[in-house]
Amino acid sequence: MSKQINLTLKVWRQSKGEAGRFETYEAKNIDTDASFLEMLDVVNDELTVKGVEPIAFEHDCREGICGCCGALVNGKTHGSHDRTTLCQLHMRHFEDGQELVLEPFRADAFPVLKDLIVDRSGLDEIITEGGYVAVKTGNAPEASTTPIKKEFAEAAMDAAECIGCGACVASCPNGSAMLFTSAKVSQYALLPQGHPERAKRVKAMVSKMDELGFGNCSNEYECAVACPKGIDVKNIARLNREFIKHGFKS
Amino acid sequence: MSIKTSILSSIGQKLLLATSGLIMFLLFLIPHMGGNILFLFGKDLFNSYAHHLHKLVPIVIGIEVLMLVSISVHMIMGIRVVLANRKASAKRLSQKSSKERSLAARLMPVSGGMIFIFIVKHLLDFTIAGEKAEIDMHGQTGYDVYGMVLDKFQDPVHVAFYVLFMVAVGLHLSHALQSALQTYGIYVPREGSKIKVVSTVIATLMAATFAIIPIIAFTR
Repeated sequence: MSKQINLTLKVWRQSKGEAGRFETYEAKNIDTDASFLEMLDVVNDELTVKGVEPIAFEHDCREGICGCCGALVNGKTHGSHDRTTLCQLHMRHFEDGQELVLEPFRADAFPVLKDLIVDRSGLDEIITEGGYVAVKTGNAPEASTTPIKKEFAEAAMDAAECIGCGACVASCPNGSAMLFTSAKVSQYALLPQGHPERAKRVKAMVSKMDELGFGNCSNEYECAVACPKGIDVKNIARLNREFIKHGFKS
Repeated sequence: MSIKTSILSSIGQKLLLATSGLIMFLLFLIPHMGGNILFLFGKDLFNSYAHHLHKLVPIVIGIEVLMLVSISVHMIMGIRVVLANRKASAKRLSQKSSKERSLAARLMPVSGGMIFIFIVKHLLDFTIAGEKAEIDMHGQTGYDVYGMVLDKFQDPVHVAFYVLFMVAVGLHLSHALQSALQTYGIYVPREGSKIKVVSTVIATLMAATFAIIPIIAFTR
């Protein structure tokens, strides 16, 4: 049964190019059935009435599939509930009177745009480098012309679950995008459709990842714990294999 | 992407780190440990081992050169990776300590630096400034390496220094072994990984074996 709780929020406020700071707000009479973003909507309504600029946060689908939302709640990406994005995190997980610290995702490659919104376009740039397959357009081919083993199909689907939210980068002590890049490389490397551009893809995506200032993987696996889609570090091992196989050929 | 860019890419640098580390582990650390164990079996056996090792000078020099190259590559890549990672990460103001990141992983740069200091000190102690008495080895001139070791570890502070630095070796290896495998593309699962357990066991046994020599020498 739902009930109402009161919370204290310490929220990071920052405009582009300015130094940020924490501001404290009260979140009153929050329904425990509300999602985290709905809670922020309620707080923002009150701030607007008071003439205070609302807290900026990114969101789109609010169904946990678009990858837009995300912030650090008490230092944890998406509030760190097992396989849950911030929009799918419900207020029933919090206690009445609790203080929550809200910060944007922190990484050198993710500059803060405003309040809780960071610029994650670096991930899009990595995709642009090789996260696609070149095929002739037209009608979809007959499905059974390219048989794919179930295990490969499943592993590729698991990798393709990545929504590109950037929680892996923000949770990594090195600000590394290895889990993201490895998922994107894996989903193509596992399927025959991805094979023609396999070598070019892994080199281009790793090179872009380095160029944008994402850190190195030191195999500490914080990313896999933080990932709201359960992307596994076996993808990082696969990315390393792909790079060993193809990265040193000119 | 040229070969040079590939080598200096994030994965390339980590492959160099892993490879140089594994070379040192397999060609130096394991044989060194094997030799050290002989110390426990007394003066004659240990001196005879040192004597025979001396006969293999060309191989020993070859390995020493390889070690020098490996340690240089390992340190340069290690420093490059750590500096790049410091730059890439941004400090969380509300950071909570995480259970996932092991202490060994966290302390890799510290334990690595400690190992470097240790190697310098160890070389000074036993290779450069080690005074060995001449003894007769079955008609040939040999050296009392056993006596030198015994002599060096009469000071408890010195013993404590060696033991402390072996803890650093153990910590470094426990993360290094599993980490190198994942870098080579051998999947090391996050939970319930036998590789992680085996890494920790090997690291602990190795550190303990190295650490026991100064303690035994002190008590003899």
